[in-house]
Amino acid sequence: MSPFLARNLSLVLVAAVAFGLPLVLRSPTYLHILILLYLYAYLTTSWNLVGGFAGVLPLGHATFVGIGAYTSTVLSLQYGISPWIGMLIGALLSALAGVIIGLPTFKMRGAYFALATIAFAEGIRVMLENIEYLGPLRLNGPRGLQIPPLKTGMAHFMFAEKEPYYYIILSLLTGVLALTWFVSRSKLGYYLVAGGEEPEAAQALGVNVARAKLIAMAMSSFLTAFAGTFWAQFTLYIHPKSVMSLDISFEIAFIALIGGRGSIAGPVLGALLLRPVSDFSRIYFGSTLPGLHLIIFGVVLILVMLYQPRGLQEPLTRMYLRVLDRLKTRGEAAA
Amino acid sequence: MKMLELKGVRKNFGGIRAVDSFSLDVAEGEIVGLIGPNGAGKSTLFNCVAGVFPPTAGEILFRGTKINNQKPWDLCRKGLARTFQIVKPFASRTVLYNVMVGAFATTDKRAEAEQRALEVLSRLHMEPQKNVRAGNLTIADRKRLEIARALATQPKLLLLDEVMAGLRPTEVDEMVAIIKRLREGGVTIFVIEHIMRAIMALSDRIAVLHFGAKIAEGPPQAIAHDERVIKAYLGEDYGAP
Repeated sequence: MSPFLARNLSLVLVAAVAFGLPLVLRSPTYLHILILLYLYAYLTTSWNLVGGFAGVLPLGHATFVGIGAYTSTVLSLQYGISPWIGMLIGALLSALAGVIIGLPTFKMRGAYFALATIAFAEGIRVMLENIEYLGPLRLNGPRGLQIPPLKTGMAHFMFAEKEPYYYIILSLLTGVLALTWFVSRSKLGYYLVAGGEEPEAAQALGVNVARAKLIAMAMSSFLTAFAGTFWAQFTLYIHPKSVMSLDISFEIAFIALIGGRGSIAGPVLGALLLRPVSDFSRIYFGSTLPGLHLIIFGVVLILVMLYQPRGLQEPLTRMYLRVLDRLKTRGEAAA
Repeated sequence: MKMLELKGVRKNFGGIRAVDSFSLDVAEGEIVGLIGPNGAGKSTLFNCVAGVFPPTAGEILFRGTKINNQKPWDLCRKGLARTFQIVKPFASRTVLYNVMVGAFATTDKRAEAEQRALEVLSRLHMEPQKNVRAGNLTIADRKRLEIARALATQPKLLLLDEVMAGLRPTEVDEMVAIIKRLREGGVTIFVIEHIMRAIMALSDRIAVLHFGAKIAEGPPQAIAHDERVIKAYLGEDYGAP
């Protein structure tokens, strides 16, 4: 078997298993856990466009989740606009917010950038908690918005079963992974990596580092807002703490750092590893040891940073390449 | 045609005058050397030319147009490339990746960038290392990588900031040969260097900077025997009586 064929075959196999899973797995609980897993893989992959490739550590992406969730929800509750269209409008608003936040913060480096993004995110959340009405828009402050489950179906982005949500988020994840693969091989991807590693050298080689980062930030915040709308339609209830809290931003960063920033597989691996920990610790220890999953995340993060600073994707990629290599030599021997 | 004209360039950092009314012309196809003791202001001058910061006063013209306030990335796309004294490779990426970043300055297509990067690497005899991570290179190879990346942007003028510091004598000779071949390929070169043997062998003309001011300019042989230059390097006592 040629390595090219083997690589494509393994990708097709993974996709087939992912798309076929709901046919076998009938339990709504497990589907729910998987949906959250994909949601976080999606969020982290979107985050990775900035946080991974551009080499900065944004810790305020919950803002964009919130913008997506609130935009589509307000538009559908007050104006009867389909959440699908609201999702697109929310994403555009979110991209705009991303650029506005990025303009001043990208001038800062390292921890200062991370702190500035936290400040923005928290500021916006606190504001939202204190706003009952934004002009004609009813936001309800800390009480949030409830979406009455009146009309179900694809057009309304609302379903009684878990399966449609499963397929929607899986499609979103597949799309964002394909986009990441495309970006990583494009001029923009090269410029982001160069600007992240050695900004001065990159500038001397013709890279407008600030512009590349802003483009990545706009893409990342655009995509992150989709997850917000999805979350709103999935849970049918949003409030500032549920869609804009720092916990979301931190969990994204945990997943990215443990899985491997700046790689395509890293965010998915990180979500595969951490999401079950978080769900099962909530199911079994939720009442006795709340927050246990955060302690586990912390310990795992320390271990990964000590032994695999480039994330878990590195040893796994190496193993995968070795398998491909072996297939190749075996193929040559057979021929 | 004049590739680069510096007219009374001055650069102040707060109260310190790092470069003071420095004037110099570099003609197309020339190799001009810039020497001077540590702290003379050579790298500051390079940074002014490359757009890292604008000069406090004076004019810098590149191919006849004033470039005083232009940004490094714009200058690079117009054909003015530079290397750094302290090498700055994109350490986690391969040699080929590093050079491709430079090649993207004049193309948006990945295939074209890759092809040009490979051409540059073969010109600098680095093709065997194309898949090595830049962080794992020896210092000599890192210096060569700096040049390869800059060359991939297809410059008309190349500023080389101490590309030979830290190299072994055989490596210096190799580098001199490489730089001479670049000039034959049509690149004008403005070079800072501390290794006298190298700068003498390379340059058509040398300018000497001392405490931010130009104290001498001329062909290598004349510079080597210039009274003020010897004093600047060795101190007052060593001048000819």
